[in-house]
Amino acid sequence: MVNDLILDVHDLKKAYDGVDVLKGIGFSLKKGETKVLIGPSGSGKSTLLRCINYLTTPDAGCIKLNGEEVLDTNIDAMRARMGFVFQDFNLFSHLTVLDNVRICQIKVKGKDKASATERAHQELERVGLADRAEAYPAELSGGQQQRVSIARALAMDPDVLLFDEPTSALDPELTGEVTKVMQQLAKEGMTMVVVTHEMSFARQAADEIIFMEHGYIVEQGAPDFMFNQSTHERTRAFLNVIAEHG
Amino acid sequence: MNIYDVLIRDFPFLLKGLGVAIVLLAALLLIGFVLGMAICLIQLYGPKSRLVQWPLKAYERIFRGIPIIIMLFIFYYGISGVWDISAFGAAILAMGLRSAAYQSQIFRSAFQSVPAGQMMAARAMGMSKLSAIRHIMFPQAARHAIGPWTNEFSSEIKETSLAYVIGVVELTRQAHYIITSTQGNVLTVFAVVALLYFILNRAGNSLLYAFERKLAVPGFEK
Ligand SMILES: Nc1ncnc2c1ncn2[C@@H]1O[C@H](COP(=O)(O)OP(=O)(O)OP(=O)(O)O)[C@@H](O)[C@H]1O
Ligand SMILES: [Mg+2]
Repeated sequence: MVNDLILDVHDLKKAYDGVDVLKGIGFSLKKGETKVLIGPSGSGKSTLLRCINYLTTPDAGCIKLNGEEVLDTNIDAMRARMGFVFQDFNLFSHLTVLDNVRICQIKVKGKDKASATERAHQELERVGLADRAEAYPAELSGGQQQRVSIARALAMDPDVLLFDEPTSALDPELTGEVTKVMQQLAKEGMTMVVVTHEMSFARQAADEIIFMEHGYIVEQGAPDFMFNQSTHERTRAFLNVIAEHG
Repeated sequence: MNIYDVLIRDFPFLLKGLGVAIVLLAALLLIGFVLGMAICLIQLYGPKSRLVQWPLKAYERIFRGIPIIIMLFIFYYGISGVWDISAFGAAILAMGLRSAAYQSQIFRSAFQSVPAGQMMAARAMGMSKLSAIRHIMFPQAARHAIGPWTNEFSSEIKETSLAYVIGVVELTRQAHYIITSTQGNVLTVFAVVALLYFILNRAGNSLLYAFERKLAVPGFEK
């Protein structure tokens, strides 16, 4: 059977100090799909994303990337194929923008400097920062830093991109420039899991919205369904709160 | 005897002593660097097992907790009982091992001042732990470490003079020889010696400061 699932998460569980945070999470992504993960604070969204690439080791469950199981033993290779975009960017502070986008191509994928440089310039172009290649992270705005971190992830040719609240540390004006890049990526067929409170992004870019609460997936469906026809009390309540408070 | 005697007749001896002090300094700093870095890396990134961590902690406390003069005596008389070691060798060992304890602390807090997200981002992109330490953590920690390391450098220069108590013929002991053999003026000789230590100290500090400036990038300015 041809498996067209890029990411397949099955029955994922995680507890911290005896408190169950993920209680059996399953979902999957086909190539080119964007799924937006929403839910109240503490519902386990970050934990879920971090378990997918083993930044946090799950207690139980199975994660497959392109049909291949993610394990302790192959984790570095698997991570190289999953881009991760953090809320607070985490650009390498001692490196220029260009080097940030280049270093893992060279040190992880073993690319030579010339082709890594070429690719880095392409990705910086794509996020609209071609002219800032020689700047250091401290010289950039938050929105620019986040776009560099997206370019850094893209340059690795990932099978899937994982975003954990990529705009939550940004002012509203800067949020737009980041979500614009992400929307473009979704349109170009990037496979993405995005944790965000940006409902306009979810409406426009998501193939499916997953609503999580207390470590469970409560409900999932197309944006139109989730926003307008959800019969789930909790989903509606949460979306109402989000709508009121932005 | 006057200042000219010290500067012309005795100066070569003082320079020789200075040379010995510099070699001692370089050797003890090198031992301290290599061992201190190893201790720091094991403490931060090595096995969490008490079997590994406890001896390192004990080492650090012991070597920071005992006066260097006592350390010098223990090493010299302790080791020379079983193994033919020169006073110079004993001084390098005692001071190097002690410097390692101090340097490990300097490096540890330098690594700890690099935000945790840096390591996380590097690992998330598929870098091995070792590779992340080398390419991401170390270059940033180094920038945090140079300032405190300069203090360690300065105090070790001054402490090389203590090696004189076990008979190492470094600058301070040369000064003593000159004073006793030529009935030289104590104050004049020691004033020149003081100046030599001071110049060495300033020269080293300037070099380190230049190095720090060279490494400075936006976000890591001094
Ligand atoms: N490293 C940790 N150690 C202990 N508990 C943790 C840890 N990380 C998360 N938790 C707990 O797990 C639960 C889920 O946290 P998580 O960060 O995954 O939630 P979230 O949905 O991302 O929330 P938010 O919207 O605030 O980011 C919370 O109760 C949190 O306190
Ligand atoms: Mg979170």
